[in-house]
Amino acid sequence: MRHPRALFLLGLLLLAAGTLAAQQPAAHPVTKNEVLIKNGTILTITHGTIPNGSIYIKDGKIAAVGQTVEAPPTAKVIDATGKFVMPGIIDSHSHLALDNDVNEATSPIVPHMRMEDAFHYTDKAVYRALAGGVTTSLLLHGSANMIGGQALVMKHKYGLDREQMLFPGAPPSIKFASGENPKRVYGSRQQMPSTRMGNFAVQRQALEDARDYMQQWSAYEAKAKAGDKDAKAPKRDLKLEALADILRGKFLVQIHCYRADEFLTEMAMAREFGYKVRAFHHALEVYKVADKVAAEGVGMATFADWWGFKHEAYDAIPWNAVMSMRKGVRVAIKSDSDDFARRLNQEAAKAVRYGGATEDEALRMITLNAAWVVGVDDRVGSLDVGKDADLAIWNHHPLSNYALVDQVLIDGEVFFDRSLPGYGMPHYKEGQ
Amino acid sequence: MKDNRVIGRSANRVIGAALVALMCLSASAFAQKSKPTAKPEPARAIVLRGGKLMTISHGTIENGTLVMENGKITAVGAAASVKVPKNARVIDVTGMTVYPGLIDSETHLGLTEISLDTTTNDLEETSDAIMPHMHVYDAFHAESDLIPVTRMNGVTNAIVAPATRDTLPGQDAFVQLAGKSSDEMLLVRDIAMPLNFTGAQRRNESFQTAKFPQTRMGMAAQLRQAFIDAQDYAQKLADYEKKAADWEKEKKGDKPSPPKRDLKLEALLPYLEGKRPVVLAAEEPSDLKVALGLAAEFKLKVILNHVSHSQILLDEIAATRLPVIVGPIYETPKDDERYDSVFKLPAELVRRGVKIAFASYDEHNVRNLPYQAGYAVAYGLSREEAMKAMTLNPAEIWGVADQLGSLDVGKTANVVVADGDPMEVRTDVKRVFIAGHEVPMESRQTRLRDQYSK
Repeated sequence: MRHPRALFLLGLLLLAAGTLAAQQPAAHPVTKNEVLIKNGTILTITHGTIPNGSIYIKDGKIAAVGQTVEAPPTAKVIDATGKFVMPGIIDSHSHLALDNDVNEATSPIVPHMRMEDAFHYTDKAVYRALAGGVTTSLLLHGSANMIGGQALVMKHKYGLDREQMLFPGAPPSIKFASGENPKRVYGSRQQMPSTRMGNFAVQRQALEDARDYMQQWSAYEAKAKAGDKDAKAPKRDLKLEALADILRGKFLVQIHCYRADEFLTEMAMAREFGYKVRAFHHALEVYKVADKVAAEGVGMATFADWWGFKHEAYDAIPWNAVMSMRKGVRVAIKSDSDDFARRLNQEAAKAVRYGGATEDEALRMITLNAAWVVGVDDRVGSLDVGKDADLAIWNHHPLSNYALVDQVLIDGEVFFDRSLPGYGMPHYKEGQ
Repeated sequence: MKDNRVIGRSANRVIGAALVALMCLSASAFAQKSKPTAKPEPARAIVLRGGKLMTISHGTIENGTLVMENGKITAVGAAASVKVPKNARVIDVTGMTVYPGLIDSETHLGLTEISLDTTTNDLEETSDAIMPHMHVYDAFHAESDLIPVTRMNGVTNAIVAPATRDTLPGQDAFVQLAGKSSDEMLLVRDIAMPLNFTGAQRRNESFQTAKFPQTRMGMAAQLRQAFIDAQDYAQKLADYEKKAADWEKEKKGDKPSPPKRDLKLEALLPYLEGKRPVVLAAEEPSDLKVALGLAAEFKLKVILNHVSHSQILLDEIAATRLPVIVGPIYETPKDDERYDSVFKLPAELVRRGVKIAFASYDEHNVRNLPYQAGYAVAYGLSREEAMKAMTLNPAEIWGVADQLGSLDVGKTANVVVADGDPMEVRTDVKRVFIAGHEVPMESRQTRLRDQYSK
């Protein structure tokens, strides 16, 4: 804590404590950190591919990208000759490091659950995804609930402390889910909802309850402001508070949803109650109504080619991502799996195969578009000056099945290096 | 009949018209049938000219030509040296890669349609763990929508196995992924028997619902008893046959009666006799040792399966000289294993001289088999060995190498044409031939794509 900047960050942290607007910034002192990656093929995502290019990293940020860059001789040099440098992969739908605490499946409305309270930050799955080039993941609540819990945004700084792994300043997301999962979970217990009618009735009632709660508070505040000493504050209710924050637009709303009709219903309900949907997740039938989803500005985080695991996944087609993209939907490819999280580059390559995405378009689905879904696209997801130096160095083009990650840097620090003995991690401590 | 009441008058009219049409159709079908059938034209040879032929058995021919006739490969060689038959359908495949149809060594194709919908599943009879008399061929659904999706990516043959919650869930079939009926597609009806010993077969959900076998001890004891019972049954059969033969000679006394047929024990006999292989599934070193011990005790012919976490036994596995179906390499490593320990397994086994084959262990995603092989290449396996592990190796392991697994004259014409490296995701499969017939590149998924692309 000697570093003045760290003290400043700590101050910010204390100021921010108790507010929901942002995650805590990392208390990890930013080391003097100058890295020059040179002679690599730079896949910038936003401004094309730079053959034989360089990246200069200073204090954890990208300070320069180009054919040639100015860097002081003191910078640590990483020779990327013959290699490919791309932004760290962003997994916009993950449940890793949450043990068996993914679903609080005891009520269809649980917006007051916070994934941070279950964050099992020493989970080796974090490391295995890191070794596949993933640097940021959105850890979501499960899909048993029409309105589930509050997500966590993690940087894969495996080996560091819990607080140091939280993505500083990432906006809060909340999980919604519709379709088969809630109706199966509660229906099998003879509870509401057991149908899609029930699903949306439960969701609508919860949002009405939130409106009512907000009115109670504003009525109280008006009275108090007018000097009414008898005014009594309503009892605080965590669940209603979280629902009210949805209506106040404080959350990015991330909706697990498969079927075309349900995208339309969810978007109609969002209009009715005045919140915005950030993205549909899984979203396997977006190709059927892509123009409508695009018109609403809703993104999607989808599987590349998974299908048939349940009825609402039976119309899934591997062309979904590209067909929807061509209609203007912002498309991310996500893992929803500790396994796929290790090879999202191969999943992105399927967008080239099925529908003919360009290499840039395919890579954007696991970087910049995914970062947009998570709400951190101003910070990560491309190799641009000013962004966090979160990147992976690959031994082949990352859309090749033969490509492996050689090194991963997060905030300019090496967190994975394939050439290291043991687990390949400079920060890893045995027994973790 | 209840539903009829809600059908309106106009709907009734439509149905009536449909019925008339249907009757006309069947009448004309009948008429056609009674007419003498026109002699079918002799099948034209199909020639793939100018492609890069990955023969698997004898290297790669850069500018090669392959000829298919009557379902078989009849010529393979350099374009200049192969004689093109008269009247053949010649397809220019310049710039394309041509390779044998891929073989997936464990799938559940034809046993399920929608995973969560139990009414579409015939994956396993879980009432008992010892079910060797369950035959996949009795459930294989030839019209499954999963099959066209699979073969369009170049997988033409597969082992179909029951799911793996039982130690002995039944007998595998070897299928070809095109044909007019299940009869045509089931190339080998009972090809092998899985013997699963991974711990996942324990019936230990909770103490309230648990039933035998709740532990690995229970699994092993139950398996041994099953094989001992089958040995006893075999002995009874042999005794009876001897008595019956003796009686036939002298016809003295009562004619001996055969022992009561027991399908379960009978199903184990070919395996005790070593006529067919057992597919021995184990992941952990401890389980592998127990399973191999059982196999040795009953002299079973073995194909190893998975061995995902048995890195410390690789030399011992190699010393057994048994073939291994490896993976899936996407299996998550244990917490004390390095991130790449399972990814490297195929390369490590092949380096020790083990014959390996790949399997998707899947149903909807069987089409992705070649990408698993490609990822094994990233982790050290040679490209040649990776291709072999989806073609000639499984053909040899399953005893069908005289028909499948390479581009050789005389083999079944299961041939794939792609616009690049078969193990790269970005490569597009352009044509698939199964038994010399070009399979339409159509599936439920392409129909949905086309419907919503308009």
